[in-house]
Amino acid sequence: MSDGNAKMVSLTVDGVSVTVPAGTPVIQAAERAGVVVPHYCYHPGIPSRPAQCRMCLVEIEGQPKLQPSCVMAVQDEMVVHTQMESEEVRDAQQAVIEFLLLNHPLDCPICDAAGQCMLQDYAYETGQLETRLVDAKLVMGRDRIADDILYFADRCIICTRCVRFMDDIAGENSLIVAQRGHKAYIDTFPGKDLDHPFRGNIVDVCPVGALVHEDFVFKARAWDMDTAPGVCGGCSQGCNIDVNVKENQVVRVKPRYNADVNGYWMCDEGRRHLVMANRGLRADVPMIRRDGELEPVTWAEALEWVAERLPAGQGGVARVTASESNESLHTFTELLGVLGIDGGTFAVRRGESAKLPGFPQLELREERVPNGAGARLLGFTEQDALPSPGGGTLVVLADPLLDADPSYGADADFFLYLGSQISAAARNATAILPIAGAGEADGTYVNVENRVQRFHQAMQPPGVARPAWMVVNRLLRQLDGERLPVRDVRAAFAAVSAAVPEFASLSWQSLGLKGATLGSGAPAESGAR
Amino acid sequence: MSDEKRPDIHPAVVSAQPFQLASRRPVDRLFDDDEGRDRLEKAISRYPEKKAALLPMLAYAQERNGWISPEAMEEIGGALELTPAYVRSVATFYTMYNKHPTGRHIIQVCTCTACHLCGADDVFEAFLEATGTRPGEMSDDERFMVMEAECLGACGFATAVQVNNRYFENVTPESVADVLAALDDDEEA
Amino acid sequence: MGFPHSHDLEVGTILSRHFGDASARRLETWVGMGGYEGLKKAVGMEAPEITAVVKDSGLRGRGGAGFPTGLKWSFMPQEPNGPHYLCCNADESEPGAFKDREILRWVPHLLIEGCLIAARAIRAQHVYVYVRGEYFPYTKILNDAVVEAYEAGYIGSDILGSGWDCELTVHIGAGAYIAGEETGLMSSLVGGRAEPRVKPPFPAQSGVFGRPTTVNNVETLAAVPMILTEGADWYRQWGTEKSPGTKLWCCSGHLERPGTYELPLGVPLKDIIYDVCGGVRAGRKLKAVIPGGSSTALLTADELDCPSTYEGLQEAGSSLGTASPIVMDENTNMVAVIRRTAEFYAHESCGQCVQCREGTAWVAKILHRIETGGGRLKDIDILYDLCEQLTGRTICVLADSVVFPLRSSLDKFRADYEALINGGAR
Repeated sequence: MSDGNAKMVSLTVDGVSVTVPAGTPVIQAAERAGVVVPHYCYHPGIPSRPAQCRMCLVEIEGQPKLQPSCVMAVQDEMVVHTQMESEEVRDAQQAVIEFLLLNHPLDCPICDAAGQCMLQDYAYETGQLETRLVDAKLVMGRDRIADDILYFADRCIICTRCVRFMDDIAGENSLIVAQRGHKAYIDTFPGKDLDHPFRGNIVDVCPVGALVHEDFVFKARAWDMDTAPGVCGGCSQGCNIDVNVKENQVVRVKPRYNADVNGYWMCDEGRRHLVMANRGLRADVPMIRRDGELEPVTWAEALEWVAERLPAGQGGVARVTASESNESLHTFTELLGVLGIDGGTFAVRRGESAKLPGFPQLELREERVPNGAGARLLGFTEQDALPSPGGGTLVVLADPLLDADPSYGADADFFLYLGSQISAAARNATAILPIAGAGEADGTYVNVENRVQRFHQAMQPPGVARPAWMVVNRLLRQLDGERLPVRDVRAAFAAVSAAVPEFASLSWQSLGLKGATLGSGAPAESGAR
Repeated sequence: MSDEKRPDIHPAVVSAQPFQLASRRPVDRLFDDDEGRDRLEKAISRYPEKKAALLPMLAYAQERNGWISPEAMEEIGGALELTPAYVRSVATFYTMYNKHPTGRHIIQVCTCTACHLCGADDVFEAFLEATGTRPGEMSDDERFMVMEAECLGACGFATAVQVNNRYFENVTPESVADVLAALDDDEEA
Repeated sequence: MGFPHSHDLEVGTILSRHFGDASARRLETWVGMGGYEGLKKAVGMEAPEITAVVKDSGLRGRGGAGFPTGLKWSFMPQEPNGPHYLCCNADESEPGAFKDREILRWVPHLLIEGCLIAARAIRAQHVYVYVRGEYFPYTKILNDAVVEAYEAGYIGSDILGSGWDCELTVHIGAGAYIAGEETGLMSSLVGGRAEPRVKPPFPAQSGVFGRPTTVNNVETLAAVPMILTEGADWYRQWGTEKSPGTKLWCCSGHLERPGTYELPLGVPLKDIIYDVCGGVRAGRKLKAVIPGGSSTALLTADELDCPSTYEGLQEAGSSLGTASPIVMDENTNMVAVIRRTAEFYAHESCGQCVQCREGTAWVAKILHRIETGGGRLKDIDILYDLCEQLTGRTICVLADSVVFPLRSSLDKFRADYEALINGGAR
């Protein structure tokens, strides 16, 4: 919108003076002044602004009519009164709410959006309890507009955010307003449902419950979910996400705004990633091999048993994944040092990339792992084939070995498996140390643009499984009683930045929730609040 | 029928051809014959953007087939570099574009303010009775379809009735039979 | 059918002189009647000169808003850096209005000439005449005239040997009142839904195809040729200082002689109704008049003694609009009329703005309920409240349009509403 040299403009919003670049819409200036002007059709990530919901009207001194603040550009010495000060504005907004609710079904109790609904919120705020409509409501029904997205026409307020996301951002004119007036609804061309790889964003931009994702429908109420800030593990883009969890299950993943990485968006493959990542038989307790059989034991017993038998300094082979955090991978390199193993390998799944024309920095990347850059930086090398242990030592971190031959590792003299899933090959291990799976630990990834980003634990790992960096550290302490404990993820990250020059001057704290570029030494400018 | 000789149309008026006719010349593909290609090229030539030829081409589809089928929308979209969805969005905005097959004679009775004052509701009822149909329903012989219309712009001559491309003015319930009798299934533009 | 009865007021028949004479549609006859003289003059003039004459004439937009035409033209960039466009708005669809169709129908060449002169004044290279889809028979007449004019060199390249090029295309709509709104027309013309858009940018900055554009009504453009040939002062011999010239009045409803009449602006409204149109038919009494097309406030029988000017009707509490009086006699069911009018606006709302999309339909529902015996006194308060909410809060003025007749009927004929509410359905 404006570069560093843009002319600055000063105005007053509800008595608060703000200075913003010329051309800024009033609604954004108001936000700077601490006032959120209610709105529906305006979305900061969608360039087209039809100003059609008429909810963001404000009073501007000298203007005879209320003006839509989403398109009205600031002017020097403009005096703006929002709903906080202007009776007329409140009156207009209340009327919009009443109009929107006229034909809106009162199905909040079964609506996915309830609790996170801009119609519900503003209706509550403007506070008209009863409808004055005594005539029959218009009933329009519902439709499927993608194989995973349903459209509830009765709930729709025709803000056209979804249509404009597809037009402006997805670059595909496939979702439309059909008919006109009070009969208008959102639709596709018959037989041409949405199949765009970023279509799921239309559900996010819907301010009400008109568009719902079929994977989520009826799964959880907004207030029953916990949310943790995460980073998508679906590819090397590293989209910032909010992980919605109910009863320790991921029920939904939504993009979390980060101007430098993914804006307001993410791809559909990413949405499914975390839901599917932890499928399979989970490793939930430590196990050691006694008399040829794997036997569950306590952490204390397992660590002592493994430490006693670990073939230190004898070399061997190691396998990791690029889905593990930098903290875990780095700690693991220390263990490899003890074992005398020189590096390890990881596999990268690749797929077709998918672009988002209206937000070109976001792309579903070919590299379908989140931390390939981090793994390479920490000394691991990409190799599809699993390393052959021969008769020596095999150490596996996090690679579930799902595609491995069931006999893989059986020939190893010592096979330490730190993993979250128990596959056929994992059963050949000498010892299994259970680690947290996707979404179950804190940590950082390095994305394709060399940006280090924090993700936070969203769920409890099963049983007594722990984050890998914690497990490996405990094992290292078992081996070396002098070693200082690493008590939390901050310390684990500090160990990475102390040991790896590219991470120097970065700290867990300075990364914040938006991340920072490797070697930058200071959090990158994100432009976001 | 589609290969019958049509008069050459001046490009300046190609976007303004009557498109609601009793006699139709159905065609599967709009732009596979010379006439269709000619219409398309001429219409496109009148605007700096291809998209502007959309309304004229929707009209042409209706002129030929009596309605605008989903297939026609796709074909028009292809010719004008628009998605079929976009074409549908535009087609459904305008009430004169038939999105379903209709009777040969679309009888639109203006019942808007001025005609309403002058008894248009009775004229409308008289048409329904005379054709034995309900509003918007095709008659059994597929000849008629009677609808209420918004203002037809002939308020001084209430009740105004439009049948396809023709106007009938000062229609009364008594003259409904005369109007129906005047309709010729082979009428041309 | 056809052009109606003559009338006995002294009029300047600028537009309607040849109404009813089918031979005037033909170019040869038309030129013999003095046609295209204005264009001949215009091709020898520079754009600002033409605009100045029209400015001096005081001609105001005849599409309803009454904006000074010359001033509108002067908003167009003076130093063109690409194409300019003129759109002639022939999407006449306001209930009550049927004046433009008479121009299309009888004097198409007058309109073509006006279009070309205006195009020269605003440096447009292409004129689009957007005619409502329903006007098939009149579009055909216009089409024939356009082809004739092309063939005779009045349109196209090197017009009248002047070296000036200007194209003209006739384009038809397909049933959308809102395509008559300036920005709605532009959205429609470029191949879209006829959805109005917020201004700025104004059409003179960015209109059709993203280029500077002027949209003028048919009647406005048809007045231009004679203003150019005869001069601004000649045009000002009719009308008032603020409302100069003549105006087509299309009169409908319960009249003895409904029809289109050209009258100097300023004739008392009551004279138009009682003298020109012969008063209310069947000897009945007049109940109310919607003076300027359905989107204007209605006036009672006592309020008609006002000059038929932009300012005169405004003073009377209504507006001139499209000069389309709809007359209602004493037996009129006022609630039914307003209900039917509200249904029109609900049907024609494009559906973008919430107030208009939901509010117009709600008004129609309430009125229908009152009309059929289910009304409550509370509904009158709700209707008044809706009048507030539908005024001045939307992108275009379609929502405002339903308010004028509604509010004025509530103010002036509240008893009609109360009678239905208290007495049940008639």
